[in-house]
Amino acid sequence: MSELLDLAQAAVEAARTAGADFCDSYCSDTTEVSVDVERSSINYCATIRDQGISVRAYVNGGQGFATVQQLDLQSARECGRRAVEMAKAAHPDPDFVRLPDPTEAEEVPELFDERMAGLDSSAFVQWCLRGIEEAREVASDAIVQGGAGAGWGDSALASSTGVALTRRGSSASVSFFVIINRDGDVGTYFEQDMARRMADLEGEAIGEKAARAALGQLGSRPVPTGRVPLILGPLAAWGLIGSVISAAEAEGIQRNRSWLVGCEGQQIASPLLTVREEPLIPAGLSSGAYDGEGVARRPRALIDDGVLTTYLHNSYTAYKSGVMPTGHASRGGYSSSVGISTSNLQVQPGEHTEAELISEVDNGIYVAYAGLSPNSVTGEVSTTIDFGFRIEGGELTAPISTTLVGSTANELLGGIDAVSSDYRDEPGLIMPSLRIESVQIASEG
Amino acid sequence: MRGLIEDILREAKRRGASFADIRVTDAEGTSVSVEDGQADRVSSAAVSGAGLRVLIDGAWGFAPTNTVTREELRRCLDDALGMAQAASGHVTEPGVVAEVEPVEATVSAEAEIDPREVPLADRVQRIFEIEQVARERDDRVVNTRASYSDSAGKLIIANSFGTWIEQEAMRCSVRLATTAQSGDVRQFATESEARPGGYEIVNAVDPEQWAGAVADRALSLLDAKLAPAGTFDIIIDPRVCGLLAHEAFGHNAEADAVWAGESILAGREGEQVCSELVSIADDPTLEGLNGSFRYDHEGVPARRHDIVRDGVLVGYLHSLETAARLGVEPNGCARAQSHQDEPIVRMSNTFIDGGDATLEEIIADTKDGLLMRGGYWGYVFTARGQFTCNVENAWQIRDGKVGQHYRNASFAGLTLEMLSRVDALGREVSFDLGGMCGKGGQSMHVDAGGPHLRIRDVVVGGQEDGGRA
Repeated sequence: MSELLDLAQAAVEAARTAGADFCDSYCSDTTEVSVDVERSSINYCATIRDQGISVRAYVNGGQGFATVQQLDLQSARECGRRAVEMAKAAHPDPDFVRLPDPTEAEEVPELFDERMAGLDSSAFVQWCLRGIEEAREVASDAIVQGGAGAGWGDSALASSTGVALTRRGSSASVSFFVIINRDGDVGTYFEQDMARRMADLEGEAIGEKAARAALGQLGSRPVPTGRVPLILGPLAAWGLIGSVISAAEAEGIQRNRSWLVGCEGQQIASPLLTVREEPLIPAGLSSGAYDGEGVARRPRALIDDGVLTTYLHNSYTAYKSGVMPTGHASRGGYSSSVGISTSNLQVQPGEHTEAELISEVDNGIYVAYAGLSPNSVTGEVSTTIDFGFRIEGGELTAPISTTLVGSTANELLGGIDAVSSDYRDEPGLIMPSLRIESVQIASEG
Repeated sequence: MRGLIEDILREAKRRGASFADIRVTDAEGTSVSVEDGQADRVSSAAVSGAGLRVLIDGAWGFAPTNTVTREELRRCLDDALGMAQAASGHVTEPGVVAEVEPVEATVSAEAEIDPREVPLADRVQRIFEIEQVARERDDRVVNTRASYSDSAGKLIIANSFGTWIEQEAMRCSVRLATTAQSGDVRQFATESEARPGGYEIVNAVDPEQWAGAVADRALSLLDAKLAPAGTFDIIIDPRVCGLLAHEAFGHNAEADAVWAGESILAGREGEQVCSELVSIADDPTLEGLNGSFRYDHEGVPARRHDIVRDGVLVGYLHSLETAARLGVEPNGCARAQSHQDEPIVRMSNTFIDGGDATLEEIIADTKDGLLMRGGYWGYVFTARGQFTCNVENAWQIRDGKVGQHYRNASFAGLTLEMLSRVDALGREVSFDLGGMCGKGGQSMHVDAGGPHLRIRDVVVGGQEDGGRA
């Protein structure tokens, strides 16, 4: 890892020499191994090693960014010089203040599992075979797609302000998508598991769960158009909450292209909704002591009893707003520049189980999965319920077909009248179900 | 380079591979981002490497590298063969490849102006000027984002059949997003010009007309009402028609989905699957469109693919593998995002053919419906044939006349049911959806289009009750 840090620091030095006022460099060396399943057969095996360097340089506030896909000293220096060339072509930006100074934090344990990094393809083949077998035990005519894989690697971050960090991480995932087609009546569903260490990766029953859920989607039919209560299952609720939090990123706020402009410190959701960010959970999927610029992250409530407590900042947006960076700078690898995102999100569970929430609904819809993300600019929602069930007399009845939701973020968030006490959890994440009082749906029924 | 690549391919065959191919990329690109009057972000990317794929004992192995040396390519070969061999005993549907005649070709980039020869400062200034038009259009414009990108480089495609293609590629694009606000209502519109070619693509953009129109669209949405929910007859414009052709139908015609049991079109060749008014094709040979190319990434020459003719399903889109599986000739539809991805079946320029009506005639013939313009996004679950399209604008049509303007509408349905209810098509076909399509974790340049088209009895998702019961 020290070699990566040496390269990052050499790139920074080259950029400084070329005229950068501020600069940072990120280097990574990653390996991914994966096995794909197609039509219930092992199909594709891949080992993908990816290496690269990026440099971000500022000249009079204008930002230049350059990437190369080699890890050697010459490439690092050339990347640094190239970033400065780009920065000089950019217009000066008076809103840029500086890159952040180093901060001290203790790295989160168990982000890397030696056992996972050492896995060869035969382990993934076995996971895939097990998933296929599980699905076919549930339904012999199940068609299974999906696969299993793992990734691991090292990265380093260095900056002209003295940030010098290295990191090692690993993760693995198993996912299956099952299709059951009975004379044109098609049921499909998916299930997955992800983890940073082997002990957290269930692997088992993923194929079985996907197949059972696909069976449950057979015989879907439309429902009447009208306003009804929705119960968002864990994955549907998670998609909604994640996109709401994303809309709080400060760049969109400052640029007046987010529906959450003017909402910091305001009630944006039902008082029943609290969302915490927990970046320091050992082995958490999105855990890490530092953000993408080397700023220490810290646990906090992002939505507290329905109030949006803070916008999410990287150093650019924070200093522009006259506040300190909040530890939300993100990097999607060496090939992408610095953005803004959160770490592990946890929705605070409520007092009653999902089953109890369902039992209180006389006529409504259970949304297992739908892309309910509000449009990040307008806050409006118009989409299809991809997987759902009708609720009648407090019970799930038939799966539904071709049913759309038309709403707004304000209506969905403000209409939350219950959060379930039981939840889906992945390492670091807590995902309960949400009930929304009344939403307009359209269908053919 | 050629000697090295051919050595590796020979070694792959010697070690038991029934097929092997290598794609070598060497490219560079720049991008410029202008937001709210500040051209304050300029980027450069250098992309290079090779992706090696082998088929051995019915199992595929793939390994890429960013460093094209003999040592690294040998490591890739070891990795790819090792993984495939470990899996081969467990493959129940062995991989296969259609044999094709080797192709030897050199393809030059079809560009008038190499963007690398345009001073970077001029490229920055040009995008700034485009953004400025939208920004200064109206006080209610609260955000404008323009971006420019170019890429230029070479792709080598070689395989164990003896194919060797050296293909220069050059692309330029300009994109603009404008947000307008009035009171609590914030709306936006986007537009892009993107296709293979040089800087002439950027020069062809008239800032006043092009950027002004984007701002005007965002401004007009401020006065639009929330869309109604219910069932309507809808008339869709060429952009939404392209979205329908690509998302709802095109993904189902990709033969990897057909073979995998994920397509509603599986086993239906020769059957009537749509209204007899509907013909659908995918054509990478059309000049000047975002999805155009000369050879696919398996080295197969590009050609037009008829998918539906007069409502009858006549063919699928194939890779070397799917062609072998379904016993047909490969038709050049496999592409990969980069050397780090394996080629998969992709659409190119997908469209519904035109009919014989004018838009005015279709509107005049519609008693109670919605006119939908401007596709935002769409997606499909191919196995169920259920799709969703989200559109920028809708207008009420009552007794043959266009009325109230609505915003934020989606429509959804089962693809084949919906396309069986198409009962009017406009004469003029246009392509207006140049963008990127995501599939299997890869993004690929595509385009799509069609005529104005009417579909009866479509479920529209909106915020207010308003459709027929």
